[in-house]
Amino acid sequence: MAKEVMERKASDNKYLHKDFHNIMNLGIEYIHEKYSEESVREYLVQFASAYYAPLKRSIIDKGLIAVKEHYEKIYAAEEASEAISFFYTEDELMINVDKCPAVTHMQNSNISPSELYHELTKTVNETICENTPFSYELIAYDSETGASTERFYRK
Amino acid sequence: MISCTEFIPAYSELFKYIEQKGGEDAVLEYWEHISRNGINQLRDLVEEHGIRGCYLYWSHTLNEEAADFTMTLDEEKDEFEIIMHYCPSKGRLLEIDHIEPYHNYCKHCDVLYRRVLESLGYKYFYDMSECDKARCRLKVTR
Repeated sequence: MAKEVMERKASDNKYLHKDFHNIMNLGIEYIHEKYSEESVREYLVQFASAYYAPLKRSIIDKGLIAVKEHYEKIYAAEEASEAISFFYTEDELMINVDKCPAVTHMQNSNISPSELYHELTKTVNETICENTPFSYELIAYDSETGASTERFYRK
Repeated sequence: MISCTEFIPAYSELFKYIEQKGGEDAVLEYWEHISRNGINQLRDLVEEHGIRGCYLYWSHTLNEEAADFTMTLDEEKDEFEIIMHYCPSKGRLLEIDHIEPYHNYCKHCDVLYRRVLESLGYKYFYDMSECDKARCRLKVTR
């Protein structure tokens, strides 16, 4: 049996490890079961406040176009640009997601999304809008597919 | 949606949150939960292929994570080794200048994989001494 060696540079591959969606879901379920539903939201507020601080600043500086650019970027990274569409004006941004790439990946892995999985959308976007001139509402969410209709709007 | 490309900071912040709720023991308990429920592919592959299962598992994950590594499988010696020249997870955390990584972030790699591999009869060595530079080394033997 020969020795096998694999060498890779970071630039050899695209960074896209969709199994992270499964681990994220497991984390949400764990917090829900071990602590509480409110703890899931508390964790997501803490995460979003810290990680999306630059996006929040960008929303204050540039307006809702910053949100649109953010979602265009992450859906492109997920190779799912066709799943999202936007209706944008300076005062309102409507986002329609036909099929969430995270939920699709979990289904392909035979994993059922947590009953609180929608909080990754709702709580995160509400937190991103806090202390900005804008508000957010999750108008519709289909837990089977992760399809959603979302609205960001000027207060 | 939080993209899988944003998962690492979400994971690091989750460790911080759990530590706030229950201290370091609670974080360890969470890692053990992930080890039992989140990395079944590693267990399945090693059960089916022996030490080659490690090579198959990390070939998949490290390429998708765009890691900078050298991985060696020596089935004659029953040895498997990863030399991580630049860890994509810790590297990302170090590159994000507006959040502080969880203070013991790299330890999860020790706990998660050790629990699986030792339960299957393997020895697991993990050198975290250069984790602050996003470098580490792990070795699995019989």
